[in-house]
Amino acid sequence: MSANRWFATGNYFTTYREEQRIFSTHLDRLVFCLFLTAFFVWPFFIDLSTKYMLVLDNILIAVIAVYGLNLVLGFGGLISVGHAAFVGVGAYTVASLAGVIGEQHMLITHGWPLMIIGAGLMGAIFGLIVGLPALRLRHLYLLMATLSFQMIFEWTIGFLNFFNQGQFIYVGRVHWLTGEVGRNEHYLFWYYVLLVTVVICGFGVRNLLRTRYGRSLVAVRDNDRAADAMGMHPGLAKVFAFGLAGFFAGIAGAMQAYLDRGAGFETFTLHESIQYLAMTIVGGMGQLTGCFFGPAAIEILDLQMEHLAEWAGHILPSALDLATGLRPLSFGLVIVLFLMFEPRGIANWWRILRTYLKLWPFRY
Amino acid sequence: MTYFFQLVVSGIVVGSIYALAAIGFVLIYKSSRVLNIAHGQIIAAGAYITYALTVWCQIPIYISFVLSMIVTFFLAMSVERIFLRRLIGEPIISVIMVTIGLMSIIDGLIYLTPFGSENFSFPAFLPTEPVVFAGIYISYTQIVGVIITFLLIGIFSWFFKKSTVGISMRAVSDDQMASMSIGISVPRVFGLAWACAGLTAAAAGGIIGNITGLNFETLHAFGIIVFPVVILGGLDSLPGAVAAGIIMGLIQQFASGYLDGNFGLNGTANLLPYIILLVILLFKPHGLFGTHEIERV
Repeated sequence: MSANRWFATGNYFTTYREEQRIFSTHLDRLVFCLFLTAFFVWPFFIDLSTKYMLVLDNILIAVIAVYGLNLVLGFGGLISVGHAAFVGVGAYTVASLAGVIGEQHMLITHGWPLMIIGAGLMGAIFGLIVGLPALRLRHLYLLMATLSFQMIFEWTIGFLNFFNQGQFIYVGRVHWLTGEVGRNEHYLFWYYVLLVTVVICGFGVRNLLRTRYGRSLVAVRDNDRAADAMGMHPGLAKVFAFGLAGFFAGIAGAMQAYLDRGAGFETFTLHESIQYLAMTIVGGMGQLTGCFFGPAAIEILDLQMEHLAEWAGHILPSALDLATGLRPLSFGLVIVLFLMFEPRGIANWWRILRTYLKLWPFRY
Repeated sequence: MTYFFQLVVSGIVVGSIYALAAIGFVLIYKSSRVLNIAHGQIIAAGAYITYALTVWCQIPIYISFVLSMIVTFFLAMSVERIFLRRLIGEPIISVIMVTIGLMSIIDGLIYLTPFGSENFSFPAFLPTEPVVFAGIYISYTQIVGVIITFLLIGIFSWFFKKSTVGISMRAVSDDQMASMSIGISVPRVFGLAWACAGLTAAAAGGIIGNITGLNFETLHAFGIIVFPVVILGGLDSLPGAVAAGIIMGLIQQFASGYLDGNFGLNGTANLLPYIILLVILLFKPHGLFGTHEIERV
């Protein structure tokens, strides 16, 4: 049955090679390409306001960060509550360098791809350091290490003069082939850069999971003793997972710094870490598609909460700070409800929809 | 030298409250292997309930302190009942993530009340004049706080050593299967552990609220320091929690007394516990008194 690679209705794999394909059917590949083209082409036809363009860019940044968190949480089975700090490491790599050599330096404005990769490597270094206790411990103590990294990061940014004590540090506008990217095309420009990065990183993660290392990580998550007995090193697998998570977070952070044209303290607090966690859980842990649904869902929820707070602010006495309360409340509720009722996240709904469409008009 | 002893005294005061706060965390971990990330928020909730009862309901503080402990007892029990009971049997990682979600929820709820944005302080009910002993200042609130703390720690250790319920809780933490087979209801013990944790958390919150005043940022920082304390003491050891609490209190006081303002550093008291946590995890992962797990594959 493996002959029909267009309308296969189930798994007809006869070799491991077939099972490891990125797209199991040609139809999947076609749908993917259609989606991708749509994402690249729509800005030519629709003119979105700056506010929503920013939301879109933030979603894409979060997608890159969630790739990293999903590697740790979904594929590695470890909890990290310090992901915003890793994102912050990337952002402050760019921002503090801009503070030292001047925000209009060639390296910042022209060499931004280099800066982004550099920030990713910086994030990876910190990820490896924080992940080191995994060599000694099993279980979920690593949660504590990430929590303390978050606290140390907040202290470092908030108290050291080098980081301007958490005040905003500016980063200059970037240059592209046609010269400086101006105010009008800023968000559109970064939308395309982010989209390309999301696609590259997405393929990277997908391929990683087909390699020896990715599969050993999943094996360690499922049963670390068995993985150990089969010659894998559970500790090292976890440390590398943290390193990779730090890398993606660093890239996301550097892009955040460029997009916001600087870095400030309040973008990288514990609440943001929990927001990334909520994105991963809502999207679906251990699902690559979850990395797209989660950030989109949470950013839209965030936007709705802002609207709600604004609307309620007219009615209720203004002494109550609704916006700061509603955000953690809604994220917490979403985390708890998804874990209790749909632990596989939105990615599972997508899977159900896909199987339904594949088999239509038959039930099974 | 007086300065040194002043720091020691206030370190012990703060540290003993850390100890009281950490006991609840250790209790939950011991019985159900769940790291309760929302513990700091329960402490804050306890402090605010005490304040609300004292000031808004005009109940004398001694009664409202006990009342808030009872309220938080049932609050924590219902949290366990509603959110965690249905997750028994699920992988522990999702239970811990639920507590992270709970932390966020309680944070949000507190932000929705006036407590989230404004500062409050308890009405003075003890003489405000501090006791001076050989040049060292100790306020009455601190003295009473420490006495209550040690009283509660004493009661809890008696409870675990001697009472039937305490013994059944220890049995569950030792071996769930075996304790089930001799007729202990494991879910009930989990609920009770959460309830006791809520009770101690409320006590710690009430005392710290009396000493430092009610500011959500401060209470938040206080709640998170519980994690370095329990890691230092060893996650599953009650004496460890007490010792580590006091050590952590001393470290913090010395840091803010000697380091701050000297090397261009500020707020080191909020940094050192986390560096200690990382170092402990790297070099002595089971803490000072925790049980070593022996792995034989």
